[in-house]
Formats: sequence, structure tokens, C-alpha cells
Amino acid sequence: MSPLNLTASTLAIVAASVTAAAARDNVQVAGSSTVLPYAAIVAEAFGENFDFSTPVVESGGSSAGLKRFCEGVGENTVDIANASRAIKSSELEVCAENGVTDIVEIRIGYDGIVFASDIAGNGFAFTPSDWYMALAAELPVDGAMVANSNSNWNAVNSDFPDQQIQAFIPGTKHGTREVFEEKVLLQGCIDSGAMDAILNLNGGDEDAAEQSCMAVRTDGLSVDIDGDYTETLARIEADANGIGVFGLAFYENNTDRLQVAPMSDVVPNTASIASGEYPVSRPLYFYVKAAHLDVIPGLQEFVSFFVSDEIAGPDGPLAEYGLVSDPELSKTQDAVANRTLLDVM
Amino acid sequence: MTSPTKSLFVQDERVKRRNAAEKRFHSYGLCAIGVAALALVVLLASVLANGASAFRQTYLMLEIPLPAETLDKGGDRDPAAMASVSTFGYAPLLRDALVASIAKLNIETTLSNKDVGDMISKEAAASLRNQVLANPDLVGGVIALDVLANGRIDGFFKGRVTMESAERDGNTSPEALRVAQLLADVGVLVTRFNWQFLTAPDASDQRPEAAGLGVAILGSLYMMLVVLVLALPIGVAAAIYLEEFAPKNRVSDLIEVNISNLAAVPSIVYGILGLAIFINFLGLRQSSPLVGGLVLTLMTLPTIIIATRAALKAVPPSIRDAALGLGATKMQSVFHHVLPLAAPGILTGTIIGLAQALGETAPLLLIGMVAFVRDYPAAYSETAGLFGEAATALPVQVFNWTQRADPGFVERASGAIITLLVFLAVMNTVAVLLRRRFERRW
Amino acid sequence: MWVVELFSSLPGLLAVLALFGLLGSQVRVHRAAKGDLRSLAALPRAHGINAVLSVLVPAAICFVGLSLVKLIGPRLNTAALPDYVVYWTVLTVAVLGCVVAILRSTVNFRARQASEVWIKSLLIAASVVAILTTVGIVLSMLFEAMHFFQQYAWQDFFFSTDWAPNFRGDSSLGFLPLLWGTFYVSFIALALAVPVGLFAAIYLSEYAGPWMRGIAKPLIEILAGIPTIVYGLFALVTVGPLLRDYFAQPLGLGGSASSVMTAGVVMGIMLIPFVSSLSDDAINAVPQTMRDGSYALGATRSETVRKVILPAALPGIMGAVLLAASRAIGETMIVVLGAGAAAQMSLNPFEAMTTITVKIVSQLTGDTDFASPETLVAFALGLTLFAFTLALNAVALLVVRKYREQYE
Repeated sequence: MSPLNLTASTLAIVAASVTAAAARDNVQVAGSSTVLPYAAIVAEAFGENFDFSTPVVESGGSSAGLKRFCEGVGENTVDIANASRAIKSSELEVCAENGVTDIVEIRIGYDGIVFASDIAGNGFAFTPSDWYMALAAELPVDGAMVANSNSNWNAVNSDFPDQQIQAFIPGTKHGTREVFEEKVLLQGCIDSGAMDAILNLNGGDEDAAEQSCMAVRTDGLSVDIDGDYTETLARIEADANGIGVFGLAFYENNTDRLQVAPMSDVVPNTASIASGEYPVSRPLYFYVKAAHLDVIPGLQEFVSFFVSDEIAGPDGPLAEYGLVSDPELSKTQDAVANRTLLDVM
Repeated sequence: MTSPTKSLFVQDERVKRRNAAEKRFHSYGLCAIGVAALALVVLLASVLANGASAFRQTYLMLEIPLPAETLDKGGDRDPAAMASVSTFGYAPLLRDALVASIAKLNIETTLSNKDVGDMISKEAAASLRNQVLANPDLVGGVIALDVLANGRIDGFFKGRVTMESAERDGNTSPEALRVAQLLADVGVLVTRFNWQFLTAPDASDQRPEAAGLGVAILGSLYMMLVVLVLALPIGVAAAIYLEEFAPKNRVSDLIEVNISNLAAVPSIVYGILGLAIFINFLGLRQSSPLVGGLVLTLMTLPTIIIATRAALKAVPPSIRDAALGLGATKMQSVFHHVLPLAAPGILTGTIIGLAQALGETAPLLLIGMVAFVRDYPAAYSETAGLFGEAATALPVQVFNWTQRADPGFVERASGAIITLLVFLAVMNTVAVLLRRRFERRW
Repeated sequence: MWVVELFSSLPGLLAVLALFGLLGSQVRVHRAAKGDLRSLAALPRAHGINAVLSVLVPAAICFVGLSLVKLIGPRLNTAALPDYVVYWTVLTVAVLGCVVAILRSTVNFRARQASEVWIKSLLIAASVVAILTTVGIVLSMLFEAMHFFQQYAWQDFFFSTDWAPNFRGDSSLGFLPLLWGTFYVSFIALALAVPVGLFAAIYLSEYAGPWMRGIAKPLIEILAGIPTIVYGLFALVTVGPLLRDYFAQPLGLGGSASSVMTAGVVMGIMLIPFVSSLSDDAINAVPQTMRDGSYALGATRSETVRKVILPAALPGIMGAVLLAASRAIGETMIVVLGAGAAAQMSLNPFEAMTTITVKIVSQLTGDTDFASPETLVAFALGLTLFAFTLALNAVALLVVRKYREQYE
């Protein structure tokens, strides 16, 4: 057969196979790469213990996951979107336009965000204002905003060693960055009194002051990481001065290479984060299409299994891996059982 | 007779200069090869050094009692009733078996029973449960089973985990490593070649020791089949038309520029295209190798077309003229004479294109193939059609594993790269053999 | 019975029809020739091939078209096309093709030319795929890009030198620093890959023996197949610190381990096979007579290469370089790990910068609101990059055409 005939017949085969497409029998999950490891652990256990197919869990970010979630209702769309933040109202609008109106929101627990440096280097005990002083783009000095001149940690806080500031913080694509800016930089700005100084300077414009508090210096002492925590770890190992931002689960798997810094004298662990003592954390969610619950085999069972005590509880495998389990898990379980829908507008 | 003013045996200034230039030129060429070879050696060495250990794995040989009272409460060996005992119910059996084994060997240890249980992979409970459900008559007896050791224990025997690092490690302890060493000394714990790395599906973040490439190899294989079957003929056909038949005018210029431009489109954009066209518009299945293959086909087409056109261009016009002169039609001159002569260049382009397709992650991101998939995809199924079941691909597995927190995944990722390169080497060898058949000078 | 099943299925029936046409038309012209094949305008074999193609090509086109209609129909809220309609239509077309081909098989029928029309139509269909891909790419990005420009002023996008997306909205999304980073990284990568690749190609095709050539060429091609994440880690762990400690810091050019230089050098290594393999094929295809002519005039090997072979192989080499440049522009992983994620405009090659492609990927795969300008900017970036590379390729085509020399 000539190559040309081959092409024609291949096209025919492809077209034929397409027409055979029918009902999907596995749960399809997409979204945040922070939630991915937890979802994968649950999917694996679900596949082992139930007669359903193992759910397929895609990564790709909260944004891409929710976008595909909101594309419509039907076999060709995902059933569950993982997100490391709550869904936004503008996204709900797009969802509603495409017919995705019945959404169940499920909070699976909290993700702790920790600061860690190379195990062989100096240890630190930070407060939010240390971070603000170290990373702000501009600081109020003597009644004017001047570019941040602190290049070593001991300039920020005399208790710190004379070590160059080299911070590896999540890039602007990561949800972690938002938490870092709001719970560390902004907090530090307020704690250190810089907020008041800025408000004095700009005549009380709070929005502008917050913007200024959360602006990060761009002179190379703070490096944005667009990759993941393994990249941050590799950068710290290549640069002994580096201090990076990690998820709690990542740190707990690498305690032999990283030392964690307490924040305001609280050491981050699942207990201190669950109690709220450790300030830097964020909730993790997933969203389920109610319209799919009775159509896709195993979806209802998967969701119930995910939030059950033996999985998401404080002694379950998720907590063991580093998820801070939700103290109000029973409420979430009720929401799943009752299929409590998200209030769309 | 006057003696010649210049002897051919004595080089004059100009010849010396020209010969020196020649030598320099020659050495530039050697240097270039050297640079490429050095880069290759360094990269391959780092991959091999990191990844070779992924092909070995540590197992615990246990004898596990299967008490009927916990595994089959009804007592009638009904598989449906027995399935209600989850893997959480099987894990203690494994732990007790290892505790008993340690006690029998008179190994003194300060480890708690839970710590001993943590030396066993979490995967083990699932494989034990599957064995029991497949053969309910085992219940009530004792089963001898080789189960995977935990990733840290495995890392100890591969040199990744040391006594010092275990000191600081929250997931293991020097005492556990000491016990593991004693178990290894009496042969209860062995490290051996690990076929499961090539056959098992991916595993979650808690089980680096169990993660394998089975699903990814199948997915990559299916996608390469789709790409080869579609991209090679379409690419070559398009190149033949554009190079040999298309009238030389503005339109063909536009097409030429357009194709070179497609080669510069970032690969993730092909993912956007795939999501819009193949999944949302045509309704093909998300996460399926069919869609992945189609997207990669579109992505590699420009490479193949450009390489094929260059190869066709390089065939001297005299070949075509001779064929036409003997009465062949244009089509005959192309298919019978030009195409075979252009084959080496076409093969080079195909190999580079396929290598790119085999190693690409970004376009698969938006069509759902960068995923955690545990079920083996069938090539054809009634419900999903041809290549329609969810799968991943080798580069996806590399990408996923390099993101994982557990350091045990580092060797896995490098092992996956080695597998990927073997795939590539096989394809390359075939191409080289074919190229050698066709390569010629005139 | 499987035999019955096979021959009542569509592919089976088409094969039977094609075979029938193949034999039927040949038998018919044999009869018409009355034993004297020289009276025929085309050989019987050509008639046969024409018949086969007349059955298969229209049937395949018809099948693909109807399948598309069938798939898309329900999405546009029209009644789905039933299976039997597809079956019978395709079959009718095939039978028609078969009958017409057999009927046309007469003494004066130029079957060879007729069959080539079919083949040519297939060739054209194949090249249409490339055009459709472009249309698809533009369409799949256009709407989202328009959404972006509704929310964000185009002047700010195209002319701002500040790239700083943030979660609360109110981001600056200037395109220029990304464009600069893209050009800078690609330039360094090509500055390494083109000379090394070209010299490697020259050495392999003009100096190396068959043994060395047989080994070295496929080995270098392996460089193209190593996943880019390996290159990325190589840049991050080895090349970055090396360049920082031995070049950037002694020269006083900064202390950043991730830099344009790191990413450019590592990407250059990845691109070597793109240049070397394709150029090698082009150089190898230059007729030996031209080399012989040059040597006969007393030129050295290097002079022959520079003055005769390279100009003759220029179109192929330019194709290779363009392909390498395309890969450089489209690369993500090496840039992320090698050059960092900070968007800035600087001349210093040891500064961290980033490229358009990296930002397309990171804005699409991040955690930002998918309906916000911060995510939608990815589509605008994609389209703009598309337009830019289109212009570059057009210029390259003109340049190549101007300097191209056709030899025989």
C-alpha cells in the first residue's frame, strides 16, 4: 500500500474509533498541584478498596482545573476541580453561563506554609516584620519611601547572623504567593509600624498602602520560583544562603535536608497550624458537579470516601502526609451527604 | 636550463597559510564534535548515576498468618463480604508478621510495633488484599509473600539514606535502619532487580517504592503509534506537494512561512488547540492517548515537513530531469526517484520530530494527560474506542516525579528518563539502519 | 461467520470493490487492446491503479466528512446522523467510483494522468492540515485574547516595560520585558548551537570516515531526545553556579545563579543536533562533482566547504537554523530552571530574565482566577508571539531566497 492510501485508511480508523465513544466509567479530577498529592493518595486507596476504576487526577493548577470544570456539564468535562483557594465569583459566572450551576464546595483541610533553610546553614526565628523589612521593595525612612537597602539579615534584625538575604519565594502564579503577601508581608508591615508611616505619607490611602506593603523587591535578593518546591530545594542546596518557602508536607518529607524556622516563636506542625497558633496557612478545596454525582459511577462514593474520618481525619493518611486536617470535618461530611450546593450569586 | 624559481616541495607563504587554515578548520570541526560528545556524556552520566538504582528494589520476605476472624467475619468465604475488609484492615497483619519475624530472629530492638509497621511499604497491604480476594481459600492459613520495604529502608540499601540523615528524618530512625541491616544479614530483607518499575502503575506520594512506569510506557507507545501513523505520511505528503507540485506564487510562500511559524509555536499552545478542537468540539475523551497522539501529531508535523522539504530540495534537479526525459510523469519522477534519494533527510526529520513528541509534557497539560493514572489503558475498548482510555506518558511521569516531595522519587524520575532514552535509542537505531540503506552521494 | 462479517463491514466491502475495480479495469483494457498493448494510451497497470484510487479516495473523503458531521451534529442541536446513512452513502460513492473507473478504461484513456489527479488531491489534503492547524490555533486563542483586551488596555500590554501580575488584580502586564528575554535567550542559544552544530555537520560529512559518521550522528541526535527537564536540572545544579562563580562574580556582573547565559548555553547544547543533523543531510546532498571540481582547481578541503558546499547547502542549513530558533523560542523548562522567572529588561547576560513561553505556561497553569486578565494574558501572549514569529519567518524566507544559489 502506498503511504497515501495508508493515510486515508488511518483517518478512517480514527474516525471509526471516535464514533464508538460512550459512557465514561472513571472519575475525572483536575486542578491544583498542591491538592494533587492528597487527591492521589485518596484515589489510590479508593481504587484499591472499591470496585470502581481508580479516579484520574490531573495536575495543572487551580486556574486550569476550574476552567475545565466550568466548561459545561457532560462526559467530556471533569467531575471534580481541586483548588488551593476558594472559587471566585467571576469564575462562578462563567460556570453558570456554561450551565454548571450546581456545585458542591468541599474543604478538605489546611496547607501550612513554612520557611526553611539548608540544614547545614544558620538557623533563624522569624517574625512577619523581619520578612517585611527584608523583602519590601521600598521602606518608609525619615518621612520618605526609599528603596530597601537591607542586603544582609543582621541589618533587618540584629539577632540574626551576618548572612546575605537570599529568599526563594513562590512566583506570582502560585496561590502560596498570595498567602505569603497577605499573612507575612502585610502583617509584617502593620507589626513594624511601617503601615502607619506609609499612611501618613500618602494621606491615608489604604489600598495604595497595602499595595506598597506587599510589593517585593526586584533587585535579585528575592527570587520568584515559578516551578515547584523541588526547584526551591535545589536552589537552596546550590546556594547556602538561601531561605525558601515550602509547604508543610514537603518540609516533613525532607527534614534531613531542611531546617524549619519558627514564625513568631511558633514551630509549624499539624497541631500548631490546626489550632491557629501558626499564622501562615490556607484552606484547600475541591469542587464537585452535583449534576455528575448520579451519572458518573463511583463519584459519590469517592467524594464521601475523601472526607471520611479514616482518610481526612487527624489520624488518616492525609494528615500523616502533612495535610492539616479540618477541625470542622464533620460539617464537611454533612455537606457531602446533603449535597449542599454553593450559593452561586 | 635555469633552475626553477619555486620548488613544489617548498611551501611558500600562501600555501602555508592555506594549509594552516585547513588545519584550523579541521580542528574546529573536531572541537564541535567534542563539545557535543562531552555534553552528551555529562548528561547521560548524571542520569545514569541517579537513575540506575530505580531498577533495584528492597523486599521483605514475610510469612503472614491470615486469621479468618478478621478477614472473613461471615465465615463463608464470600468474596463480596470479604471485600468489606479494606487495606486498613490488612496493614496490621503485615505489621504483626514482621514483628513476629523480628522476635523469632532474636533481634533486640527499641522500636515500637508501629515503627516496625512503618518499615513495610503501604503498597503491601493492597497487594496482600488482592491476593486474598483472588484466592479466598488462603484465609485461615499462612501466606509467604515478598512485600516491598518502605522507601527510606530501600534508600538505606542504595546509599541515599544514611544513619546521619535518618537522625534528622521524621520518617525513619537509625534504629529502624539498624534492624533492617540485621534483617538483611539473615536474608529476610533482600535487594533485587525490580521489574515492577517497568510494569507497575504510578503510586501516590506516600509510596515511592511502589511507583512504576507501566501506564506511562503504554501511553507513550500508543501516542507514538498515532504520531507515526499520522504525522509521517501527512508530513511527507504535504512536503512533496509544497516542494514539487505547488505553483510558486504568493500562496505557496504564505504556506511556507506558515509552516515554519508553526514550528515556533510554544508546545502548550497545541494543548490549548487540542482542548478546544479535539475534546470540546469533536468530543474525544480527555486524558486519552488518542487525543494526546493527535496533538503531538500536529506539533511534530512542521518539523517533519521542514526536514522533508529540505531533503527534497537537496536532490539535484538532474535526477528529476532524467526521469522526466525518459517519459516518467512528474508523480513517477517524485515517487520513484526523488523520494528514495531524500529518504535519509526525511528520516532525520522524523526522528527529531518523534524525539520531541516523545519528550514533551506541556501540550499534554491541558488535555488531561499530566495526571495520576493507576489503571492500565487498553488499546481498544468498547466504551472508550481506540486508544481512548486514560493514560499518562513517560515525560509526564518524569515531570510528576520531579515535583514530588519524597526524595525517593528522584531516582524514579531518573529511571524514567533512562527508559525514555532507551525508547529513543530503539527508534534511532531503526532510523539509522534505514538511513544507511538510502544514504548516498552523487 | 467471521468471513461474512469481514466482507459486510465497510472496510471489507471497500477492499472488495477496490480489488474488483483493479481487476475489472485491467481486464477491460486488455480486451480493448485486442492483444496489442502498444495501442493503449496507458499500461493496464495504470488503469488498475486508477480504479483502486477512484474507489478509495472519494469513499475515504466522504467517510471522514460524514463522520465529522455525525460528531458535530448533536453539539449544534440538530438530529444526529444515523449510522446507516454513513454506511450507504460511502458505499454508493465507492460503487460509483468503481463503475466509472471501469467504464472509463478504454484504449485512449490516459489512466496514468487520471490516477495522479487522485494522488495529487491527497497531497493537497495533507498540506491543508498545516493550514487548518494555524486556523485552529488562532481561533482557539482569539476569543480569550479578546476577553483579555476588553479588561486590559492594549497600549499597556504592548508598550509597558513592567511585568508584575498579582492576585488582587491591578497588575502590570507589559509584554516588552518578556519579548526582550525571549530574544536574548534565543540569541545566546543560537550563538552556541549554530557554530557548533554547523562545524559538527561539516566535520561529519566532509572529514569523518563512515565509521565515525555512523556512530557520531545518531549519538548527537540523542541530545535532541533528552527530556528538557534534564537540561533544566543540569542548568540549575551545574551550569548556573559554575557561571556565577567563575564568570559573573569575578567580572562584577552580579551574583545570580539563574541567568540568561545559563539558560542560553544549556539550550544551545540541546539545539546542536537540530543544526548538525539537518545541515549534515543538506551538505551530504551537495553533488560530489562540485567537490571534485573544486579540488581539481586546487582548493583545500576547507576552501571547498566555505566557497562551494556551504552556499549550495544554504537552503537546508537555513531551514535547520530556523527550526532551531523555533525550538529556542518555544522552550519552557530550561528557561524556568536556568534563567528564572523574573521578567526584566537588562543587557547584562548574567541577570535572571524570562521568556514569553514561560509566562504563557505559568499563567495558564497557575492558581489565578481563570477569568481574570492575569490568566487571560497567556492567550494574548500566545497570539502576539505567533504574529512575531510569523514576521520573522517571512523575513527569513526573503533572506534565504535572496542568497540562495541553485547548483546542479
